[in-house]
Amino acid sequence: MRIIKYFLSLTLLLIFLQTALLSAEEWEVPADKAKRTSPYLFDENARKKGEDIFKRSCASCHGIPGQGNNIKSLVPIPPDLKEAKVQKRSDGELFYMITTGRGAMPSFKNSLTEQERWQVISYIRSFNKDYVQPPLAKLVDSAKLRSVQIIPFFDTVKFKVSVLVKAFQKTDTLPLPDAEVSLFVKRYFGNLPIDSIRITPSNGKVTFNFPSNLPGDSTGNIQLIVKVNHEMFGELEKLYVAKLGVPTIKPPLTEKRAMWNVGKKAPLWLIFSYLIVVGAIWFFLVRIILSIRKIKQSGKNPKL
Amino acid sequence: MSVANEKIVSDLLKPIGYGKGFLIWMSFLTAILIACLYAYSIQLREGLGVTGLRDYVSWGIYIANFVFFVATSLIGMLISAVLGLTNIKWASPLARIAEIISLAFAAVAGLVIISDMGRPDRFLYLFFYGRIQSPIIWDVTVVTTYVVISILLLYLPMIPDIALCRDRLTHLPKWQRKIYEILSVNWQNTPEQQHIIRQGVKTLLILIIPVALAIHTVTSWLFAVTHRPGWDSTIFGPYFVTGAFVSGTAAVIIAMYVFRRIYHLEQYITAELFDKIGKLLVLVSLVYLYFNINEYLVPVYKLKHADAAHLHELFQGRFAILYWSVQIGGLLIPIILLLFKPMRRPLPLFIVAIFVIVGAWFKRYLIVIPTMQHPFLPIQNVPIEYQIYKPTLIEIAITVAPIILVLMIITILSKTFPILPIQEVENHENN
Ligand code: HEC
Repeated sequence: MRIIKYFLSLTLLLIFLQTALLSAEEWEVPADKAKRTSPYLFDENARKKGEDIFKRSCASCHGIPGQGNNIKSLVPIPPDLKEAKVQKRSDGELFYMITTGRGAMPSFKNSLTEQERWQVISYIRSFNKDYVQPPLAKLVDSAKLRSVQIIPFFDTVKFKVSVLVKAFQKTDTLPLPDAEVSLFVKRYFGNLPIDSIRITPSNGKVTFNFPSNLPGDSTGNIQLIVKVNHEMFGELEKLYVAKLGVPTIKPPLTEKRAMWNVGKKAPLWLIFSYLIVVGAIWFFLVRIILSIRKIKQSGKNPKL
Repeated sequence: MSVANEKIVSDLLKPIGYGKGFLIWMSFLTAILIACLYAYSIQLREGLGVTGLRDYVSWGIYIANFVFFVATSLIGMLISAVLGLTNIKWASPLARIAEIISLAFAAVAGLVIISDMGRPDRFLYLFFYGRIQSPIIWDVTVVTTYVVISILLLYLPMIPDIALCRDRLTHLPKWQRKIYEILSVNWQNTPEQQHIIRQGVKTLLILIIPVALAIHTVTSWLFAVTHRPGWDSTIFGPYFVTGAFVSGTAAVIIAMYVFRRIYHLEQYITAELFDKIGKLLVLVSLVYLYFNINEYLVPVYKLKHADAAHLHELFQGRFAILYWSVQIGGLLIPIILLLFKPMRRPLPLFIVAIFVIVGAWFKRYLIVIPTMQHPFLPIQNVPIEYQIYKPTLIEIAITVAPIILVLMIITILSKTFPILPIQEVENHENN
């Protein structure tokens, strides 16, 4: 018994220390990332777009900045983003935090594009009167970005997806090393990341393992998103269709007669029951109403 | 006709006619009605925004009132059909009062629903585009049917009495006598005519039982077929029906008392009758109490997550005062009081019945509104008036209107026709 008690108090102590430490722990942002600045101007347009994204993706935890309606039950508490502690941070730091996330704070690397992340920051900054946007970072040269080619191979037998990344370098279009490649399956809500992120080696080619049991459409087609990100060539995203899924035929729930369907597709049993019951009752009611006429006629020439 | 019967006929026909009291009372009601209609005209022009109804509580006191109306209208079925067919003789003089109450409440119930519509001009769409799968369509069907049955069940047995009015009330204005003449359909009291009426009434008494059960069961299904705490119940049908008998019986007691006093019918609406119907009120209240225990104790025992919040609000939270007043003051104490014979004398019974009927109205409020304030997904990011429902003055006025209408219908019917079935009273007295 003593031992159990001892262990119990020790564990409790550890848990307590851990949470205390975690919430106290500074969020370290690598120096080069902290220095990054936005390549986009924080104008009214960016703020508006950022507001939409914020309300959709962030407000549920952080609340609307300045209103203090962040959820207090998470550990650590997601701060109200108008707080000085947050506004003191550089744009690069905020960008890094939103990109990578930590603990309960999710990573938005895959769900928001870089531009969208900057737009959110533009919105957060709009609550800080003293904020002045630092000089814009240079946008990636668009000619360079246009030269990037993504060449995918879909192995529908072994369930592998290979991606070859090429770009115009110096004199010719060559395989591009050091590019970050990620693969997603497009879904109704958000994208499903497949395997892990790969960095292209010198031959520019990476391979992903693909699960063999994802549901596809009726012919097994799946929509895939390949995302390439390179420091110098920028970010590129392409959509492909491949037969990598299990053919799934789901008859729509509104096809057959059902309780939840439109009036024309009501269940037959319901229509019949309704008509029979209502018909039977009204049959008697009409008969009674008609019998009133009989009373009247019989009163005219009473057979006394 | 014997002397005794002669006296009965003249006593029961005496209140008929539109005297001074009637005109004052009706002008009073009309004045209130006009004020209420003015409130409705504001709602028509401005929309439902002038009420306390918002996204979450979209069914407020209008629907609570509707449920109350449908409930009270069930009493005709209990008194005429259940007691009538089982040959319980003491209740037969009350049949007409019960039928008048039923008819008035059922006919006005439909109007109550329209007051809850933001676009009443689209009411007919219900018939053009309604889905037969929806309990709302069943409700419309069954309420209409019930109104027709109630009219017939009031009218058919009354034909001989109307004929009496036609023959006896020669002092009345001509137009009124003309109405009696038309409505009495050449009644000569022939055996054939008697036979037709007897057959018709018998069929109606049988028909009205399933239709009345259906009308209130379907009304309960408007709630019970949705998956929400407080409504998601399998006993909602019988729970509503038994509750209906309570409020209906109370309504009949109130009407009995008022008619007895105003029309000087002490000799016919006897203290003994009050004693009997007081016992009936105890019986139906006990049954209703039993259903209440089922309806609340079982979820309290399980305390499912969503139910827990709802029940907490009822028992200890924002609705607690109302809830316990209704359950104790409108149900438990009346049951206990009415167990004692002195409490079943006319005046005490009348007072108890008022408590019961007011409790019954607020019980409907407690069934409709708290549930709407407890959706499964938490209410967030809405202004405070969306979260907490508070009926506005306009809304209250529009809710009062149907009650006024019911009083008017009952007044007119009771001043146009004898409110006690003469033949039944004669049989009663002669035995
Ligand atoms: C699931 C809840 C949740 C969501 C959604 C969320 N966050 Fe957070 N966020 C947190 C938590 C918890 C922390 C604190 C993390 C820590 O300190 O370890 C945090 C921290 C942050 C910080 C760092 C604050 C500081 O200075 O310490 C920023 C900036 C931030 N979030 C921005 C965002 C933005 C922008 C979004 C939407 C794109 C977002 N968050 C969505 C929970 C959330």
